[in-house]
Amino acid sequence: MTTLPETKVLDDAPSLRDRLGSALFRQEGVLILIGIIALVVLAFGSENFLTVDNLLNQTRFLAEIGLIALPMTYIIITGGIDLSVGAIVGVSAIMLGVSWQNWGLPLELAIVVCILTGVLAGFVNGLFIVRVGVPPLIMTLATLAFYRGLAEGISESRSVRGYPDWFEQLGQGNFLGLPTQLWVLIVFAIVFAIVLARTTFGRSLYAIGNNELGARFSGIPVGRNKIIIYSLSGLMAGIAAWIFVSRTTTTRSDYGSGWELDVIAAVVLGGTSIFGGTGTIIGTMLGIVLIQILKNGLALTGVTSDATIVVIGSVLILSILINNYAGSLFGALTRRLRQTQQNT
Amino acid sequence: MMQPILELEHISKKFPGVQALTDARFDMRAGEVHALLGENGAGKSTMIKIISGVHKPDTGEIRLDGQRISFNNPREAQAKGIATIYQELSLYPELSVAENIFMGHAPRGMFGAVDWRTMKRRAAEILDSLQITDLDVEAKVGGLTVGKRQRVEIAKALSLNARILIMDEPTAALTEADVQRLFGIVRLLRERNVGIIYISHRLEEVFVLADRVTVLRDGQYVGTDDVKNVTQDKLISMMVGRTIENLFPKLPTEIGKPVLEVRNLWRKPLCRGVSMTLRAGEIVGLAGLVGSGRSEFAQTVFGFTPAQDGEIMVDGKLEKIRNPGEAMSKGIAYVPEDRGTQGLVRQMRIRENVSLAVLRSVSRGGFIDDKQERELSQHAIRQLGIRAFSGEQVVNKLSGGNQQKVVVAKWLASKPKVLIMDEPTRGVDVGAKSEIHRLISELAQQGLAILMISSELPEVLGMSDRVLVMREGRLVAEFERKDATQENVVAAMMRENVEVNVAPSRAAGD
Amino acid sequence: MAVTAPSLGRSPSRITPRFKLGSLLSQEVILALALIVIVLVVGSVNARYVSERNLTSIFLGNAYIAVAAIGMSMVIISGNIDVSVGSLIGVLATLSGTLAVNGVPIWLSWVIPVFAGMLAGAVIGFFVAYLKIPSIVVTLGFLSILKGGLISITNGEWIRDLPAGFGLAQERPFGIPMPIYFMIVLTILAALWQRYSATGRAIYAVGGNKEAARLSGISEPRVLMTVFILNGFFVGIASILFATQLEIIQSAVPAGVELLIITAAVVGGVSILGGTGTVVGATLAAILLSAIGSALVFINVSPFWLRAVQGLLILVTVLADLLRRRRNQASLKG
Repeated sequence: MTTLPETKVLDDAPSLRDRLGSALFRQEGVLILIGIIALVVLAFGSENFLTVDNLLNQTRFLAEIGLIALPMTYIIITGGIDLSVGAIVGVSAIMLGVSWQNWGLPLELAIVVCILTGVLAGFVNGLFIVRVGVPPLIMTLATLAFYRGLAEGISESRSVRGYPDWFEQLGQGNFLGLPTQLWVLIVFAIVFAIVLARTTFGRSLYAIGNNELGARFSGIPVGRNKIIIYSLSGLMAGIAAWIFVSRTTTTRSDYGSGWELDVIAAVVLGGTSIFGGTGTIIGTMLGIVLIQILKNGLALTGVTSDATIVVIGSVLILSILINNYAGSLFGALTRRLRQTQQNT
Repeated sequence: MMQPILELEHISKKFPGVQALTDARFDMRAGEVHALLGENGAGKSTMIKIISGVHKPDTGEIRLDGQRISFNNPREAQAKGIATIYQELSLYPELSVAENIFMGHAPRGMFGAVDWRTMKRRAAEILDSLQITDLDVEAKVGGLTVGKRQRVEIAKALSLNARILIMDEPTAALTEADVQRLFGIVRLLRERNVGIIYISHRLEEVFVLADRVTVLRDGQYVGTDDVKNVTQDKLISMMVGRTIENLFPKLPTEIGKPVLEVRNLWRKPLCRGVSMTLRAGEIVGLAGLVGSGRSEFAQTVFGFTPAQDGEIMVDGKLEKIRNPGEAMSKGIAYVPEDRGTQGLVRQMRIRENVSLAVLRSVSRGGFIDDKQERELSQHAIRQLGIRAFSGEQVVNKLSGGNQQKVVVAKWLASKPKVLIMDEPTRGVDVGAKSEIHRLISELAQQGLAILMISSELPEVLGMSDRVLVMREGRLVAEFERKDATQENVVAAMMRENVEVNVAPSRAAGD
Repeated sequence: MAVTAPSLGRSPSRITPRFKLGSLLSQEVILALALIVIVLVVGSVNARYVSERNLTSIFLGNAYIAVAAIGMSMVIISGNIDVSVGSLIGVLATLSGTLAVNGVPIWLSWVIPVFAGMLAGAVIGFFVAYLKIPSIVVTLGFLSILKGGLISITNGEWIRDLPAGFGLAQERPFGIPMPIYFMIVLTILAALWQRYSATGRAIYAVGGNKEAARLSGISEPRVLMTVFILNGFFVGIASILFATQLEIIQSAVPAGVELLIITAAVVGGVSILGGTGTVVGATLAAILLSAIGSALVFINVSPFWLRAVQGLLILVTVLADLLRRRRNQASLKG
């Protein structure tokens, strides 16, 4: 049909040089840079820091937060938030312990109960957010209180101990030379990254975050997808609870308290906009690693572990400031760079 | 005759891509109701926004009591006694009537404390002076009807000692009883020497209420006259007659069998029993005033607001359409009215926008096929002549016309049989406009059935094989191409008793 | 002007009776009724529940929560939230105790933390009002900064050997504990301020309809700054009540206090979507929460379920508020 004026369409596949160039200016590049600097500085601060043992051991701590940060990235990309993840970890862990010890379920089944509890808790969040229209912040703040309360009520604040040896494998054992839970995190991170970057589902999340109305007009099942991501958030919190219990061989109702902060800080540090629309799993993973490096490095240089949460809080606020204000600065820089490239 | 209290002269205002007003004028006397008339897009909104301080004119002069002034924001205009009655926008639903009336300028008593008793008393006084007796000053505004909320708005304006009151389509959402009360209030205000700028699409209201009338057309001043000197026909002829320029001539097409048949479609409040038929290769224009239910009808067919009652048939088969996804799978596509909020995800690339509605077709097992997606966007860029470096360009950076082409490309990618286009050329420049017209014409030639909603009458008349007219949620008239004159269509859009004035309307789809 | 003619059932009469019912059953009245019902029911099951001592402890138990909930109400009415208040209470209480044991005059060790609280509020307010960062993120960050900072400085050690006369909350003028005076007086003052000051009203405007507030000449950033500074003030007072109630101060953040405060504000009728609510309701809700907690003990329910009950309460209140708003809107469309 077309006899419209000729338009030149360039080959769309970006060249390697373009990719490298833009990567340097992207959040990921900056994060890697900061990470390297932190590694170097901290290595000088303590000789125990830059050892294989220490670094591998650190991955045991970051796996749980990292798993929850994956769906949190999805949620924040759509412009939502989930403050109840820490409480879901608590209630899932309690369900694991209580269903095994008090109800006498086989431990394998108790693990299933633990994970299903997480899924159900997340699903309830998603259902009310989508069907009743409760803002995510408020819904998950309310369920943060409620789920934590359930954890305390069900367990009567008693801890559960005495798990068999095989159960500890996940949280304390190694597989092919790496901590078992690191494998779990790696596998899930790859799956979540691919789904976000390559699938129609992932694309729909970006569309929802940038323009929900536009996404609806495009026939995207916005409500269904939101329920899915909040359920995923519960699922991963359940799995994290399982790993956490396995690592500490105890179940307590205060498990996961304050984790929402670590998770959200990592996601935001990783370049996901708190206002929705942008973000990557790679960025989130880098955010997780960077925060853990800072925590551990500071601890080794003599800072108490409690003080490290000061770092997380500052990181959260700073990275949002940077996202908000330096973003425009970066934009100006890259534009300048592109223009010079085009001119030459 | 009295000296005007407000005069605007040589007013011009340009927005990106649109010249909204050109050398227009308007004047207002104390204690008159002055109707401002014009088709959609004639410049009425821009005019009142200039008067109320929302926009600043590019050129021209505003005089209040003979003195030259300019407003930087609506508050400055308010301070000079110019108030606008917004539809619900400026109320606080959780606060009381009295407090809504006095928010920001509450009477103060001792120690600067808000004097609630005085506030309630004065609120009651203002309401009494408007003969509004059924409004409790302590009631929460959130629980009030639209009509009562509007009365609160008017009282609020009066509490600021407004001398000029702007009412933009004040009766659009009112029940008949509320309309009558509004008229009573307007007459009371006139007696108190308040000047009222009254914008309404209902011509009969102008004759009932207004003293003078000013008509705008294409952003230009057409004329002002006393209402008693004009007739409805005179006003309509002043409003129509917009220039037709740079339109792409419609190509002759072969009209085939019915593709989309709609029977008695209901979706309250603005789609009330609409029936129509659309045939292959046919372009049907859907005209009507803003708020007449055109977009609502289209969005009901598209499943965005699913129908409450009625039938939709595609290719003679009865279909149930509950969401846009289902509509697209049945071959119905809808290019929405507002490309910024509905049509596009502007922060995303052209490629991602073009494929957004058809992600399934460029993916396998849920995974997006990069190559297919790129080909789709390159094809779209070539087919529609989108001016862009590549499909990787972010849509935000494109001009309005090119953005619109991306929206069209997006829905063409769904390979529709029926294409509904809502304001396809709004806010695009003349060149892009004619390209889009050519595209519409070519698509029809290829056998697509097209329903074109447009507020630009020349566009509707120039492009359509048939013209349908909606008014207050109903289909009120239908014209063959040869009978569709500007006068006929505008009369059908505006008049209560259309049937008398139009050519015999053929029942849809016989 | 014929208004009487019923026009096709789209009548305003459908709204009038509901409104009357609604104004009769304001959140404050519902809370007061709920409080009475609980006291009567639990009292009939276990008479010790209505003993003077237990009733006093019900009022006393959440008095500092009630004071903090006053500030929280204003924050939420303005359309924001503050999850850092619990940490701030811990920090300010520790500050107060530290000043006192180091020989600072007692009245100063009461006053300085209040000013410190206002300063903290000003900082948070600046981030929210001028840098336009969502309040949830700012306060989440502050929560951890304050909490971590506190523990790492004090190492979680308790402050003992507080000077005589420091225990403000332990005073009992006319036989009634001091915190109850604070709770009542501050609630009344705040209620009056909210009702009679221009800024107090502007909070509702900003939370209810930003656009309209601007048209009415209200400066949103300035109102938000005021709200957060005032919140800091109330948190400061709450921290003094908290610090002086025992002979020692635990230099840690009381767990879950921010949620309790938010719950009190929301259950007290402050719409979590902003724009409506009163401080009186918040105070009543704080007492109600305390009464529920005490009741659980007296009817032999494990106190470990207390938080679950509170969580459920906030969930139900939020849902009820949303459904009410939705119904209001539906009735408008007719």
